[in-house]
Amino acid sequence: MAFLTADNQNELKKIFEELSGDVRLEFYTQHESPIIVPGGMDCPTCKDARQLLEEVVALSDKLHLEIHEVSADGEVAREHDIPRVPALVMTADGVNGKVRYFGLPSGYEFSVLIGSLLDVSKAQTDLSEETMEVLNALDKDLHIQVFVTPT
Amino acid sequence: MAIASSHVVADVVEATEFPELANRYAVRGVPKTVINDSIDILGNVPEQMFLEHLKRA
Repeated sequence: MAFLTADNQNELKKIFEELSGDVRLEFYTQHESPIIVPGGMDCPTCKDARQLLEEVVALSDKLHLEIHEVSADGEVAREHDIPRVPALVMTADGVNGKVRYFGLPSGYEFSVLIGSLLDVSKAQTDLSEETMEVLNALDKDLHIQVFVTPT
Repeated sequence: MAIASSHVVADVVEATEFPELANRYAVRGVPKTVINDSIDILGNVPEQMFLEHLKRA
């Protein structure tokens, strides 16, 4: 069953007309085994997140989804610095840092995700001059984590 | 901020899916922003206020 209705899809297509640069969506998910492993499903939302992203990406030529399955030994995750799944890293030309989403973007968070895709695509911000000065003067890394819940 | 600066990693984390993480940062209400594991900001704050917190990180 699809997540997005025909109305959702049409609305999103209109929104995606605003996309400027191509966006790469690197999606990290649990390795999907054809065998049901008892007690083995560590990531209850991975499958839904993957399906949702596949549906979203189908709505614009500028969105490109790359699926990375994280193996049990964690090597892929370590290589790409991914601490948990499902994880989405959104990037485009002009994006200097990292923009990431962990978990299933449902409810209100879905519009946060769409907004992020647009921001990343335009690689523009409306930050104040003062903020830009502080950012440009940074001599260390800033890890900003925003905790949300689906509503 | 992540778009603007290569020093910034900006994560959105679903607290209900990662309860150990939410507990580590004592997330009781959302949104809760944690900067470099040391600065906490509760709720949505205007950019200026966010910047003040950021400077302390």
